[in-house]
Amino acid sequence: MAIKFPSIDFFRELARRMADNAAEFEKLGFCDTVMGVKVDGDSAHLYALTFDVFDCTDVRELASPDDVELDFTLEAPLALWREMFESIKKTGTPEPAYTLNSLSHVGDRMKVVYDDPEGHDKFYRFMATLQAFVDQTSDFDIEWA
Amino acid sequence: MSYYGTNDFSYNSDFNLRIRDIKKGNLDFGWLDDARETVEVRRRDPRRGLTIEDCEVGPYAIENTPEVIRENRGLAPRGAILDAATVQPDLGPSLNKKSDVWGYRVQRYWEEAMSRQWNVSTDVPWHDMDKHNIPDDLEIAFCQLCTLLSEVEMIATDLPAKWSHHMNSYFQEVKGFIATQAIDEARHAEVFRKRALAGAGLFRASVRGEHALKGILEADSYSEGSVFLHVLGEGFILTLFRSSEFISPTPVEQRMFQLVMQDEARHVSYGLQHLKYLMDNCPEVRPQINGFLDEAERHLTGLFNPDQLESMIVLGGKGTKPDQIKKGIEVVGAFQGKQIEEYFHRAERAGLPERRERSPLLELQQRMIAAAMS
Ligand SMILES: [Fe+2]
Ligand SMILES: [Fe+2]
Repeated sequence: MAIKFPSIDFFRELARRMADNAAEFEKLGFCDTVMGVKVDGDSAHLYALTFDVFDCTDVRELASPDDVELDFTLEAPLALWREMFESIKKTGTPEPAYTLNSLSHVGDRMKVVYDDPEGHDKFYRFMATLQAFVDQTSDFDIEWA
Repeated sequence: MSYYGTNDFSYNSDFNLRIRDIKKGNLDFGWLDDARETVEVRRRDPRRGLTIEDCEVGPYAIENTPEVIRENRGLAPRGAILDAATVQPDLGPSLNKKSDVWGYRVQRYWEEAMSRQWNVSTDVPWHDMDKHNIPDDLEIAFCQLCTLLSEVEMIATDLPAKWSHHMNSYFQEVKGFIATQAIDEARHAEVFRKRALAGAGLFRASVRGEHALKGILEADSYSEGSVFLHVLGEGFILTLFRSSEFISPTPVEQRMFQLVMQDEARHVSYGLQHLKYLMDNCPEVRPQINGFLDEAERHLTGLFNPDQLESMIVLGGKGTKPDQIKKGIEVVGAFQGKQIEEYFHRAERAGLPERRERSPLLELQQRMIAAAMS
């Protein structure tokens, strides 16, 4: 069944899979951060994903970034998110140019917005978990908005 | 043997008589009489097990401990009973003030470090190395980078190890955290050495880089060493690892950098929180820290040594042809600018916004911008 991106169901499904793949995420260790995901397009969408211990415990769509205290937010146009997920789909892990780290580092195609550098550093402290989280989409049938 | 105790227990007759008495069954149970405040240690979140923060209770809690520790110069754990009748050996800790070492949230960083450990031998997909054919120039450039990183990681292992025994044993959380850092850094030195040896081998050691690293190890105080290593040095290395993941020749190196990056970011976070704690609680050291950073930032430019720079350019442009070198210069220039900018932002957040005005790195940044525009 196709899952629409961006949508709250898309991230809920990822959170559900994270719980199913408990062994993989427990091996990676505690992950404690509230991460924002912003998808820019005709109508922008902003989601808050709360990671607590080994799980993604809360997913919600925000009307404004001030609704929740976010450690950092990854912002990119819909087309770039699409390229990233399509790269993941090819082999299960993204090509070097499409990891969360590379996208947000080289050429700043994906923006990392943060207020406190400690919140910003959480993106790197939990990078392996966050990458594994998005890599779970490799067998998603995605319906693009 | 350089320490001769004040008491020779093997010949102390009182002690021997007492032991003989105990063995006959004459116990005096004096140690049972010590009244202890009852504390409740509760696992706040069973998924985390029993955490350091769960154990911050009553007289054992750091928040109930004075800023300056005067009573203990030995190895007593915080909250233990000190026997007033006997003289505790003085192990000579020089860091007896909380602001000398403490960082906000250090307990959480210690737990995070323990939970996110990994193993170089088994968590990097070494078996995939055979699947990829890396051109010689890229492989040698990568191994040159691994050589410098091995040197950097050695110092990062030695600095926490050097300072641990200078810390009063009441600051166990900091000692515990920097012990995790030492093992993290030893693991990083291991991964870069293994990767180099599994490929083209180790190349040129960096004299300039080692001068910079000596500056970290020779810092006069722990706080100076910490601000140099954790905030300045590791902040720069974190950005370097981020770039290295991107320019990695294969998914093997990509995974390697993803894992080292996580550890590095945790060390930076602790350094930032230590500097912040220091500035909040001991603002009088500000001129001293600034004076130290003026020199430390000069030292740090030693890490931009020609061998490392060239190897990064070759990796960034994926080869040695003129157009690849041009691309490589762009990639490296962009990340160097980012290194400096992120450092200023961290310094500002920790309470040292003046670094942005007085730093010798500014001139370097200006030169890089000028080079990029020419
Ligand atoms: Fe390291
Ligand atoms: Fe480190």
